[in-house]
Amino acid sequence: MKPPPANALVNQMVAHTLGLLVFGGSLGLGAVWVRQEIFSTANRNHQLELKIADAQRRLDELDAGIAAALNPQTLALRNGTMGLGLIAPRELQVVRVGESPELRLAAKRNQEIFTVQTASLNPEAPAGPAEAGTAAAPLSFRVLAAAYR
Amino acid sequence: MSKGFASSSRMALLTLAVLACFLGIGVRLVFLHVVDRDELLRFVEKARRQIVVERSRRGAILDARGNLLATSRSFVTVGADPEMLQPADEARWPDLAHLLGMKPDELDRTLRRASAASKTALATLAENSGEKRIRWVKLAEDVDEGTFDQLIRLGVHGVYGQRSYKRVYPGGELAAHVLGYLNEEGVPVTGAERHLDLYLKGEDGWIESEKDGARRELAQFRSREVPAQNGDDVVLTIDSVIQHIIEDELRTIAAKFDPHFASIIVSDPQTGRILGLANYPTYNLNDYSRAPVAAQRNCAVTDIIEPGSTFKIVAVGGALDQGVVTPDSVFDCGNPLVVHNGKQLRLPKDDEALGELTVADIVAHSSNRGAAQLALLLGDDRFYDYARRYGFGSTTRYELGGEVRGILEPPSRWDGLTITRMPMGHSVAATPLQIHMAMSAVANGGTLLRPQIIREIRDPAGHVVRTFGPEKREQVLRPSTAALLAQLLTRVVTEGTAKGFDIPGFEVAGKTGTTQKLIDGKYVNNHHVASFVGFFPASRPQVVLSVIVDDAKVPGGGPAYGRAVSAPSFKHIAEQLIQYLDVMPVATPARGLVALNGGAR
Repeated sequence: MKPPPANALVNQMVAHTLGLLVFGGSLGLGAVWVRQEIFSTANRNHQLELKIADAQRRLDELDAGIAAALNPQTLALRNGTMGLGLIAPRELQVVRVGESPELRLAAKRNQEIFTVQTASLNPEAPAGPAEAGTAAAPLSFRVLAAAYR
Repeated sequence: MSKGFASSSRMALLTLAVLACFLGIGVRLVFLHVVDRDELLRFVEKARRQIVVERSRRGAILDARGNLLATSRSFVTVGADPEMLQPADEARWPDLAHLLGMKPDELDRTLRRASAASKTALATLAENSGEKRIRWVKLAEDVDEGTFDQLIRLGVHGVYGQRSYKRVYPGGELAAHVLGYLNEEGVPVTGAERHLDLYLKGEDGWIESEKDGARRELAQFRSREVPAQNGDDVVLTIDSVIQHIIEDELRTIAAKFDPHFASIIVSDPQTGRILGLANYPTYNLNDYSRAPVAAQRNCAVTDIIEPGSTFKIVAVGGALDQGVVTPDSVFDCGNPLVVHNGKQLRLPKDDEALGELTVADIVAHSSNRGAAQLALLLGDDRFYDYARRYGFGSTTRYELGGEVRGILEPPSRWDGLTITRMPMGHSVAATPLQIHMAMSAVANGGTLLRPQIIREIRDPAGHVVRTFGPEKREQVLRPSTAALLAQLLTRVVTEGTAKGFDIPGFEVAGKTGTTQKLIDGKYVNNHHVASFVGFFPASRPQVVLSVIVDDAKVPGGGPAYGRAVSAPSFKHIAEQLIQYLDVMPVATPARGLVALNGGAR
């Protein structure tokens, strides 16, 4: 058998070298692509970090602004400049409610809707709106008549 | 077998060339990575490596209701690079001036002058004259983010900003002496800022990375990252509204009496929580550099005064607690002389001749002679022991520092008259906070508590990581004695030295104090410390309130009595606190038909 010609061996080497180059090139390109992806991902993360920091900055500014606007001194000044005339309540203006506020308000509303009249056997007993807690006179009865206004 | 497509010599040459190239590359790589490695790495480190410090955000300080008292926010310092300014942008300079709060002429002048100077510098630079290039001219400081956004949108070339974080105090003067401040260097100087710095400051982080030619970070080359730990938020026991009420009252006192200093303290007697603490003079925390040092002092803990008649709670409380007297025990307060330990002692004068008084009357009418006789009954050691138990002579352990102990000498250092003078609040000195906490002990059943100013610590996510509860220091009086003394103190406002300053239905208990000031070793008649320290409602105290005014100038002259200077302020504040804190009356006053009709008017 004749040995293969030298040219063929060289050709094979060239082909392998070219193949290796293509393979190496592909690996290189792949590495570059991966690095590019890492770069863009890192940059996106960085941008997000900056955005979060910016949002936090603005949030802090907003919080400080709200706190300054809600400061009692500022509110008092605004009360004056806007002529609202708001003042703190005084004890004499305050009615302390010991019972259920809902029932009390309901009773108050019903008092406005219905007119309650009383009648009595005792001719001296005054007729007028019934008062809660008023004790009935002895030997007397009351007729309650409610009329819708 | 294939014969190939090229001549063998050409192929060999090509192969050799390719191999030579690879060999060359290999050799170069060996040089770069092995031979010159250290030198190149040093260069890269210098040129590209960077360590960026990531600043932690300082925690906020909040009041008991979550209102911001101190926080950090960014400000922008706006400047221009004269070399980058472009003539085409000049039409937008007036808008820029408007945004920066400058006059257009002023901005125009600044920029043109800077631009001209820059050109001169560039020209002389070419001649190697050593002139420095001008790349930054400051235009405005403390520009907010919103304004800076508008400024960026204007698109004026060469104008840019540098961000910096600053501590801001939205309340300005509000609770200035409690909060303290951070100076320009970011160093906490006083108050909560300084003493709670451990919680507030957080820990800076850092990023090891590389930068490009424009000094921008190449995020993909980050090699190490330590995130910043933001500081914790501190929640104080202070209530902004109560703080505002007392500061408002201090302004009124200052306008009316022009005192040397004044302090008002409000606290919850059951827990020792300070709801408000204010002093005059005060200062704006956002403008601290202009405030005199005297205004920055927290007088409530740094200044000592003779407590005057407010100190009588020591003698009366001690005598009742030891059972040596009852409220009905009678003393002759008309007699100026008594015999004690075989010696005849002269008792201090009363403002008016009071004659025979019961213990209850001694409290109500603030008899100096009566208090002295009670102290004599107790004796030096027991009286001193009670004074110490009330907290005089030792710090209250106020959490924000700067506190002094006051002066309370032991009996071994007393002269013969001290036992008669100390019960009326002479020969002893205390801070307003010490006096306040002593009265608080009477209010809460005889327990001396540590004043509490920190409520809780929250991490940056808002979770509570530490809470602070009441801290007992001493049992001063038996609860029954404290309750009895509280009832005696109610007579001060109904028939005693502060008559007319009661609030119907709310059982105000308190004690006036008027102390002559000791100047050059002598008690003088024209300088006084006026005080009113009390609490309400006496039968179930919810608020302890102290109003102490040093050296008030009473219009028309005359002594600055506690009842004239401090008691009206006490009442005015108390009326507001009753509404704000919804303190329920002990006995509801008659309100006529208003209540019967469900509040209808």
